[in-house]
Amino acid sequence: MVREPGAGLTRRTLVRPLPAPPATLRRGPWRPGTFRSRLRSPRLTSQLGVALALAFGVCFVTGLLSHLIQHPPGWFGWPSRPVGLYRITQGVHVATGLATVPLLGAKLWSVYPRLFSWPPARTIVHALERTGVALLVAAALFQLVSGVLNIARWYAPMPFFFTAGHYRVAWLVVGALLVHIGVKLPVVRLALARRPRLPRPGVSRRSLLGAVAAAAGLITVATAGQTIAPLARLSLLAPRRPGTGPQRLPVNKTAAGAGISVGAGYRLTVTGPGRRLALDLAALNALPQYTADLSITCVEGWSSTGTWTGIRLRDLAGLVGADPDRAVAEVESLQAGGRYRTSTVAPVHVRDPLTLIALRLHGEVLHPDHGYPARLIAPNRPGVLQTKWLSMITIRDAP
Amino acid sequence: MASGLLVIGYAVIGAATDPDLDVPGALAFLLGVLVAHDAVFLPMVLAVGALVGRYVPAGDRATVRAAALVSAAVTLVALPLVLGLGRNPGNPSALPLPYGRGLAVLLGLIWVTALAAIVVRRIRKRFASTRRARDG
Repeated sequence: MVREPGAGLTRRTLVRPLPAPPATLRRGPWRPGTFRSRLRSPRLTSQLGVALALAFGVCFVTGLLSHLIQHPPGWFGWPSRPVGLYRITQGVHVATGLATVPLLGAKLWSVYPRLFSWPPARTIVHALERTGVALLVAAALFQLVSGVLNIARWYAPMPFFFTAGHYRVAWLVVGALLVHIGVKLPVVRLALARRPRLPRPGVSRRSLLGAVAAAAGLITVATAGQTIAPLARLSLLAPRRPGTGPQRLPVNKTAAGAGISVGAGYRLTVTGPGRRLALDLAALNALPQYTADLSITCVEGWSSTGTWTGIRLRDLAGLVGADPDRAVAEVESLQAGGRYRTSTVAPVHVRDPLTLIALRLHGEVLHPDHGYPARLIAPNRPGVLQTKWLSMITIRDAP
Repeated sequence: MASGLLVIGYAVIGAATDPDLDVPGALAFLLGVLVAHDAVFLPMVLAVGALVGRYVPAGDRATVRAAALVSAAVTLVALPLVLGLGRNPGNPSALPLPYGRGLAVLLGLIWVTALAAIVVRRIRKRFASTRRARDG
């Protein structure tokens, strides 16, 4: 085999020691002996790292799922059953993210001295690896901070659209994490295989891991009541209470906020392959009514179940000459604009007898903030796709 | 590792071509959280740790440090809720709770637990030493 002279040369350049900066610059935290905690060890960092990789993995999978449900590519289908599946995946996404806060904090503390290693870059490869670590740390912090700000609905500190930023940076975390695992796996293997030395007096690794677990547990109990109703009274930091809101259900966008005004001339226009109907409230109420217990499940991690009454979407499909078992519906709101003004209801959801054009909640006419005069409510669907204040439904047969 | 680099490439290209994403804004935030954590937050944590090391008796340090860690994590999660700047007066069902009080209750719970742990350990220690004195 003939070796390319250039390749060897490049490799040698990459690992050739770089000139160290003058020692007089080694001040402050760069001085040797700055960080004295004996608690830091490769074993501690490895254990926290494994837990963190799992947590980010769970958040990535559940988050990607939520993204695909909201922006489905052609190959992706999301079922209408089990009814509460999305409630679980999105609840897990937010709860795991919140519980990751102490985990990431402890992990970064355990490796903080390495930020001040001397010389800052030994070789070009070392410099590249450190850049990768900086990218991973920044991206991981980005995800947790933006997620916490989002559930507190505080968007001002984020100079970007949250959903897009959180989604794109999620890929950055996963990429940088894969590289990091690739680099560190031998160190982790060694650190986890070695028997730990006897715990030293004072602070032990176990007590730190215990504190991290306690923090994660406390944060979980303090917030999970936003989706697990029996915990609501314990969840002092829950951004929502499942039973608090108009007609005992929380609201994300109010009618006033969406600029909705419903006049006496309101009609719901339903268009299909066979005919077009303009239904006023009396006509809507005259159609067969069904009742279903379905939850509003917000991407922000809260959910709350309501008892909805209205017309089956599949019945409307049949009325306008579409096949209820293979129809796709496009629903439109009275809202003038906004990202969630329209949504597409896939055939599995149109077909499902639980999918309603709801006129009532808990037996009362819908509150304006819940979408009066009519809203979509379907099983196993994110709240942003449960379009409120319906003005138009276009139904066609799926190809 | 190669797969990681590919995913990073996908993230960068995806971000650059996403019409919904303000790339300079996202980059500023990325850099901002890194600097805020490494140059502000962690030095503060280390300073608190050093104070604990100086003023808290050696036997109680682990408990105090653990309580401080839990307090810091809970406070970070609660802070945006306590500040309540995301509140919208038109929508009282969002952020409906008194989060300042909630945080105070949780911090109280953490430190009462820590104090109880310290007291229990001291009593045990005293029992052990009196027993040693008696038996020895």
